[in-house]
Amino acid sequence: MTFFDRFTGNSSGYTAKVSRIKEKSVSSIFFLTALFAVVVVSFILLFLLRDGYPIFQTVGIFNFILGSSWTPSAVVPSYGIFALIVGTILVTLGAMIFAVPLSIGCAIYISELASPRIKGIVKPAIELLAGIPSVVYGFFGLIILTTFIRTTFDIPTGQTWLAGSILLGIMALPTIISVSEDAISSVPCEYREGSLAVGATRWQTISRVIVPAALSGIAAAIILGVGRAIGETMAVMMVTGNAAIVPDPIWNVLSPIRTLTGTLGIEMGDVSIGSDHYHALFGVAVVLLIIALIVNLSAVAILSYLRDGRTSGPAHASRIKVPFLSLLKNKFSQWFRIAALAIFVLLLLAAALWWIALAVVLAVALWHYGRSWLSRKHIETIAFIGVTVAALIVLAILAIILGDIIIKGLPALSWDFLTESPTNLGRGGGIFPAIAGTLYLVTGAILIALPLGVGAAIYLVEYTREGRITKLIRTGVDLLNGTPSIVFGLFGFAFLVLYLNVGVSLFAGMITLALMVLPTVIRTTEESLKNIPRSLREGSLALGATQWQTIKNVIIPPAIPGIVTGAILSIGRAAGETAPIMFTAVVFSTRFLPGSIFDPVMALPYHLYILSTNVPGASTNKYGTALVLLMLVVAFYTVAILIRNYYAKKTRG
Amino acid sequence: MKLHPEANIQISGGGSGAGIQAIGAKTVDIGMSSRDVTKDELAKYPNFNIVTVAHDGIAIIVNPQNTIQYISLDQVNQTYTGKITKWTQITSANVPNTNNQIVLIGRDSSSGTRTYFDETVLSKATPVKTMLEQNSNGAVAQSVAQTPGAIGYVSIGFLSSDVKALPVLMQNGSTVVPSVGTVKDKTYPVSRDLYMITNGQPTGLTRDYINFILNADGQKIVADQGYVPVTS
Repeated sequence: MTFFDRFTGNSSGYTAKVSRIKEKSVSSIFFLTALFAVVVVSFILLFLLRDGYPIFQTVGIFNFILGSSWTPSAVVPSYGIFALIVGTILVTLGAMIFAVPLSIGCAIYISELASPRIKGIVKPAIELLAGIPSVVYGFFGLIILTTFIRTTFDIPTGQTWLAGSILLGIMALPTIISVSEDAISSVPCEYREGSLAVGATRWQTISRVIVPAALSGIAAAIILGVGRAIGETMAVMMVTGNAAIVPDPIWNVLSPIRTLTGTLGIEMGDVSIGSDHYHALFGVAVVLLIIALIVNLSAVAILSYLRDGRTSGPAHASRIKVPFLSLLKNKFSQWFRIAALAIFVLLLLAAALWWIALAVVLAVALWHYGRSWLSRKHIETIAFIGVTVAALIVLAILAIILGDIIIKGLPALSWDFLTESPTNLGRGGGIFPAIAGTLYLVTGAILIALPLGVGAAIYLVEYTREGRITKLIRTGVDLLNGTPSIVFGLFGFAFLVLYLNVGVSLFAGMITLALMVLPTVIRTTEESLKNIPRSLREGSLALGATQWQTIKNVIIPPAIPGIVTGAILSIGRAAGETAPIMFTAVVFSTRFLPGSIFDPVMALPYHLYILSTNVPGASTNKYGTALVLLMLVVAFYTVAILIRNYYAKKTRG
Repeated sequence: MKLHPEANIQISGGGSGAGIQAIGAKTVDIGMSSRDVTKDELAKYPNFNIVTVAHDGIAIIVNPQNTIQYISLDQVNQTYTGKITKWTQITSANVPNTNNQIVLIGRDSSSGTRTYFDETVLSKATPVKTMLEQNSNGAVAQSVAQTPGAIGYVSIGFLSSDVKALPVLMQNGSTVVPSVGTVKDKTYPVSRDLYMITNGQPTGLTRDYINFILNADGQKIVADQGYVPVTS
């Protein structure tokens, strides 16, 4: 059958009617899938509020949020989460102070300095950094980083705010780097050429023209990084010490600290269901969700502001962009820089890093007063060295984490380790049920998320013009995307495990993970649908094809690589997550594979978490499990990157 | 296992709360708990049948670098309530190459071990807020093993050469080492029971399993894991 035959066959009145009904029902199905994200978000909020509400009633919202002591197990328990909120904010702030300079330096390196070949290595390496499961980071942090901090600073314990911030900073790097790199790369070529043409050096062009032009994009990148850091659970709770205190003094980065997510992570498992403590934990989740949503929505707002500016043509773009930029540049920038520097130096002082603080102050003073003595060329060389060093540091971090796990994990790998069941609570035997369980979980999750996500994306791109409904749906997707993974876990526990009474099971885990990856599927599908030229759609419709025929035969086939990439990225993310399945799907150990989807399973990330925190003397097996989990997730990401690169080349050439 | 090759035992952890709920809803056969079933839970599930399958001692542990030889429960109490903050305030304790600051490590607020420890050793006092909280015995042992100035508490089943279990100095001046023997003859002062819970009287395979745990072979496993058998 040729392209034409498909559409010209059904011209009689009856079939036309049938096809009209079919069109209608197809479009309403897509509408329903699109609405699903909104429904899920409302459900999550509803269920968290439902279980959190009693604590607001018992202690009062004011006391709950501003109360200074969190002692649920005391004779007279008190549920004040002020220290936890402060902890969350401080850990995130510290992470940004660590991650932002490195990320921007690295992004400048990738987009402006690196040769195409080096770029081809560095970019995927950074994407791999994003693929490392958070429990692997936590595991690395617990064993290597906390000891390093303790001995370096000569303090009693390394489980500190600093450890949490460094770890979260590393985890936020890939997000900030890739979004800022996109922003820098999309600065129009004329800016660069114009600046170079009037005789500016490359560094002057970068620092005075390109980075300022990309500033709003970089700001959005930072906010997205903040969102990533606020929602992180496993890594943070393994390294911060979880003492519910406000550091004293407040900038003491060497104090232990506790975050909202960490509290949920360590206390949710054993809490007696229906008790005040249980409701208080849901109250914590509500507060966490609200903070995370505010942060993510503001990033989305900035990004869409940017996008509007760009798509409405160069004249409009400059009209819209300039006021925002000049505001940032002229009024605030000077003070902002001084304030940021002051905070940074204070933090270093608090950390008793006198010599580094002194070096920073000296360097800045030298920069400020010595600039006029240095030639433009020298400044450029210094700046380029700095930027390259930032990129090298990021790569070194990746190499250290991977190296440690590979070197210690390889001896554990054997055929038996991969194919046998665990014995002695995981100290002996293999991890086969965990590998199988993880594969079951992600397969189920993607089978649920893919139709829903693709349907929603098709509706958003093909069936509607931008309007109030699409805005609602998009906001729903953004909110879902910004929801911390532990909150999905709590929702799965409250709604699926308890309310629907399906129990801790494969089924509950699949659905929870599916909800978590849904926004990724929707976004990537939307992107690939938008990349299909309009002329294809118009051509098909002009030939008399119905909308559904056009979508089915013309739009979807070329979009498939993009959709598949999105699906694989989602699988990678789902495979590495611990927090959503911890309360919904997993068990310590089981001899057999699940008999039905209502049985619980073992899963690799949870197994690693248990081996590294609950089972003493499982050293070899825990490194082995970390390595297998890492290889699995990295394999998924590599395949996704390869598919993307392959098709990117194909469409370009 | 060899006698019942068809039986699958899934061990679910990090969730006594969910575990007890699951027994209540009969989605699992047996719940294991180191914490007592709360009054609320008993009221909700009146048919709970609670069987003690093992005894357990809670050992006070420190880093092997610490020179300390023994500790009294009173000193432990004062340490966790913030009255003692330096190792030099405790007889024979010293951590070379540090400022002797004590790093308190404890369990999270919903842990059974924490509840028990706070009630008996701390006489229901709340530990100071600077205590680092971990959500498992293993994590406490791990933290103590890699922190020279640390003190923590774990089930005696979690003792290893990575940490130093402290003998407890009694009122009469004698010291008692935390061990299977001293928990069994009740000379070690910090001990508790470990439970298996069924909803109603156990039947079939579940009954066989509990009987197995309680018979000589099962209790041998209990002993092999470092816990204390209930039968002699």
